[in-house]
Amino acid sequence: MDKFESIISNEELDILQEVMNIAFGKASADLAEVIDIYVVLSIPDIKLMKTAEVPGYIEAEIDDIENISIIKQSYTGKFHGTALLLFPGGAGKKLFSLFDNNGADVPEGEGLDVMGERESLLEVGNLLIRTSVSKVAELLDDVVSYRPSRIIVESKAGDIVDWDLAEPEGPAILMRTVFSFDKRDISGLLFLIPSYKSFDWLKKALHAFLQQYE
Amino acid sequence: MIEKILIVDDSPVSRKIMKSCIPEDRGYDLFEAGDGQSGIDKYQELKPDLTFMDLTMPVMDGMQALQEIIRIDPQAVVVVCTADVQMKTIFKVMNLGALMVVRKPINKQTIDEAIQKAEDKLKNTQQ
Repeated sequence: MDKFESIISNEELDILQEVMNIAFGKASADLAEVIDIYVVLSIPDIKLMKTAEVPGYIEAEIDDIENISIIKQSYTGKFHGTALLLFPGGAGKKLFSLFDNNGADVPEGEGLDVMGERESLLEVGNLLIRTSVSKVAELLDDVVSYRPSRIIVESKAGDIVDWDLAEPEGPAILMRTVFSFDKRDISGLLFLIPSYKSFDWLKKALHAFLQQYE
Repeated sequence: MIEKILIVDDSPVSRKIMKSCIPEDRGYDLFEAGDGQSGIDKYQELKPDLTFMDLTMPVMDGMQALQEIIRIDPQAVVVVCTADVQMKTIFKVMNLGALMVVRKPINKQTIDEAIQKAEDKLKNTQQ
């Protein structure tokens, strides 16, 4: 991590980790209320790397990259970047079973299962991603807005970076947590990847967050 | 009366925030541990009057540490301080013997209320 110290210091990483911890905790509590399930969270961690290395890193993190569902959402504000929620293959069906889908309208030509899976993925994705990102932004005294989320099914990892928000040779901060749903055999990964364009603001905002306690 | 407070949290930032929210003018002796196992070790060594315990930690999580501390000392006063505020989490830690749960991000008021509640419990225990 030393080569990135000019990008973000160890103290700033510690503050960011605590902010993530609070944000992911809030997201899991909100999701648990909506679908009445216990969400088990890992300790969030942060990785620093070149943006061009992000797809390869994420690919290495997933056992079955050919069969994953990815919910991808970009957010804009002073804090801006991309959020990714990755579920291994088959998670869409399992998530669908957690919701009550009686009476859902299904457009012609689309099977209920496909629609249901997509809606369930979007529902969970929007909730986890938006709650996490909004909480990070709130703690850092910002407000973000969201572009429409996208579902990428059976993707290649190269699809997941928003290259208009990134610079391949530039640094990337990956904020990562693993979550699982108790007794449901569903687990996934949530990544927040702030754009390098927000790094200067992010560093100042992290110090301001801690200063309120000093 | 509270004299010694133990803060168990893996995040140095979180421990710093906690220390800043504990009233300085009351002269508490503050001690820190960075994971659940160290928290248990420090608890046995120091016998603090009040322990603030995070839940999501490496080596041993706060749920296990809370359980072990209550097993060692059923009168232990432990306040769980966590960002994980799912109802099932709150229910579990209260069942394990936590005095209360304080939601992160904390502030001076919520920590002062927790200390007051701990003082009340200690008084009731002593009577």
